[in-house]
Amino acid sequence: MSVVIPGPEGRLTPEQIRSVTFPPARFGRRGLDEVHVRAFCAQVEEEIVYLLNERASLYQQAEQLRQRFRDPVDGEPAYMSSIAHLQAVQVLVNAQKTAERFVGEAQQYCRELAENARQRRDQLLAEARLSAAKMMERADSEARLAVAEAAARAPAATAAGTSGREQENLQGEIAYLRMYSEVYRTHLRTYLEALLRNVDEWARAEQSPAGLEHDQPPA
Amino acid sequence: MDAQRLRDNLARVMMHGDEVPLFFFSDLFLRHPEVRELFPVGMDVTRDRLVAALARIVSEADNLDALVPFLQGLGRDHRKFGAVPDHFGAVGTSLIAALRHFTGPDWSAELEAEWKAAFGVVAKVMIEAAAANQQAHPPWWDATIVGHELRAFDIAVLRLATSEPLPYRPGQTISVESQKAPRYWRFYSVANAPREDGTLDLHVAMIDGGMVSPVLARGLGVGSRLRLGPAVGVFGLTAEPRHDLLMVAGGTGLAPIKAIVEQLAELYQPPRVHLFVGARRAEGLYDLPDLEKMAARWPWLTVVPAVSDDPYYEGECGTVSDVVARSGTWSRHDAYVAGPTAMVETTVDRLISVGVPADRIHIEDFGWGEIT
Repeated sequence: MSVVIPGPEGRLTPEQIRSVTFPPARFGRRGLDEVHVRAFCAQVEEEIVYLLNERASLYQQAEQLRQRFRDPVDGEPAYMSSIAHLQAVQVLVNAQKTAERFVGEAQQYCRELAENARQRRDQLLAEARLSAAKMMERADSEARLAVAEAAARAPAATAAGTSGREQENLQGEIAYLRMYSEVYRTHLRTYLEALLRNVDEWARAEQSPAGLEHDQPPA
Repeated sequence: MDAQRLRDNLARVMMHGDEVPLFFFSDLFLRHPEVRELFPVGMDVTRDRLVAALARIVSEADNLDALVPFLQGLGRDHRKFGAVPDHFGAVGTSLIAALRHFTGPDWSAELEAEWKAAFGVVAKVMIEAAAANQQAHPPWWDATIVGHELRAFDIAVLRLATSEPLPYRPGQTISVESQKAPRYWRFYSVANAPREDGTLDLHVAMIDGGMVSPVLARGLGVGSRLRLGPAVGVFGLTAEPRHDLLMVAGGTGLAPIKAIVEQLAELYQPPRVHLFVGARRAEGLYDLPDLEKMAARWPWLTVVPAVSDDPYYEGECGTVSDVVARSGTWSRHDAYVAGPTAMVETTVDRLISVGVPADRIHIEDFGWGEIT
C-alpha cells in the first residue's frame, strides 16, 4: 500500500481507491489475483462514497437543527416558541391549577368548619340571651303580681277593720316581696353575665393546646 | 415610550384573565426551575398582585413621578423573597413570552421592542432601589412574638420584637410570614407609633380559610418566630395637621388609625380628633378599653364606638358611616378612613355627601394601597 498517496487532509478518497495500482509481485513470489483485488477496491470505493454522502446529509440536518436552536424566530430562540415548549408550559399550568385546587379544597373545608363554629356560637349566645330575657320577664311579672296581691289585700283588710298590727304585717310582707324581687333580678343578671363569660372562655379555650405549641426557632 | 399602545395591548391580553399570569409563571419556572422555590404552593394571590402591578405600571407609564416611588418600594420589598438582579431579566423574557402568546398574530417586533424598553426601565428602577436599600437594611427582619392576646373569637392582638429596628411611619403596613405557612406573605398595619423598645403591635382578624391569619391568631403564641418585610404604604399624616381630624376605623382597620393617633399625641398641640370605631358586634370592638384609656388621658381625643348588627348594644347603633354622618359637621375636617373595602367605600361616599372635600379624605382600604 506504500504507493497510495494520501488525499487532501490526509484522508483516503474514493478516487484514490479507484486509481490505486499495485506493482506486480516480483518473479518467483506469489501474488494476488489482480481481478479480485480490483473488484474488492470497487466495493470499498462504493461504500466510502455512500458513507460520505450520508455524512454530508447528516451534517446538513445537524446544521439546520443548530440553526433553529440558535437563531431567533420572531425574536425568540426557536425552540422556545416550539410546540414542545408550549406543551411544557401547559403541563406546568395544569400542575399549578391542580395544586391550587387541593389547597383550595383544604381552605374551603376550614372555612366551612369555622363558619359552622361561628354560627353555632351565635346561636348558643342568642338562645342564652333569649332564655335569660324570658326568665327575667317571668320573675318580673311574678313579683309584680305578688306585690299587687299583697297591696290589694292590705286595703281590704283595713276596710274589714283589721288591727293596725295586721296591717303592719302586710306592709312588711310587701316590702319583703319587693326586696325578694330585687334580689331575684340581681341573681339572674349575675347568672346571665357568668353565662356570657363562659361562652367567651370557651372561645379562648379553643386556642389551646395548639395555640400554646410554639414553633421551633429556625435552625 | 408609547404608553397607550402598551395599555391597549395589556387590556387585550388580560381578556384571557388568570391564564395570562399562569402562563407567565409556568414559562418562567420552565426556563428557570430554581426560581419556583421562591414562591408559595398556591399562587393565586401572587398572580393577582402581578396583574395589579402590571396594570399600575402601564397606567402610570407616562407619569414617572408616581410610578418611580411605587417601583422603588416594589424593588425594596422583593429583597425579602430572595430576588436577585438576574431574576429580573428572566421575568422580562417570560412576561414578553406570555404577552406574545396571548396577543397572537398581531404581535410585532415594534410592540416587543416597546415592552422590552418598558421592562428594562422597571427592572432598572427596582434593582437600583434594592441595591440602595441593601446598604441600610436586611432583606427581612426576624421577629419574635412577645405578646399574644385573643381579644375576641376571631381577633388577636400581637406584639412583636424585631432582631433589629424596623423603620416605619405610623399608618404604614408590613408584610408577615410564618414558617407554618412558608412563603405566604400577608400585609398588616402596625398599630402603634414607633416605641423606644422597637416593639410592633399587629391587629389580626382571622379570615376563615385564610392561609396566614388563622396561623397568626390561633396557631402561634408568645415565643413564636415570624419574618417581616419592610414598611410600605402611603397612608398616614402627610404633614403637620392643619385641621381637626375625623378618623373612621372598621374592624382591624383600627390598627393604622391608632398608630396615627399615638403619633399625634407627640405633637406640641395635637388637633381635635374624633375617632369612630365600627364593628358588627360589641365583641368586635376588641381594643375599646385601650382606646378609652387614651381618650381619658388625651383631652383632644374623642372615641365613639358604633355597632351595626347587635340590637342589645347600649351605645351608638348603626354602621360606622351612618353614625359618623349623624354625629357632627365634618366639612372642615381632614378625614382618615381605614377598614374593609366595602366599609371604606361607603364611608368615603358618605363623607363626600356631607361636605368633606374629596382631597381631604385619606384612605387605607387593605387593597392595592398595600404595596405602594
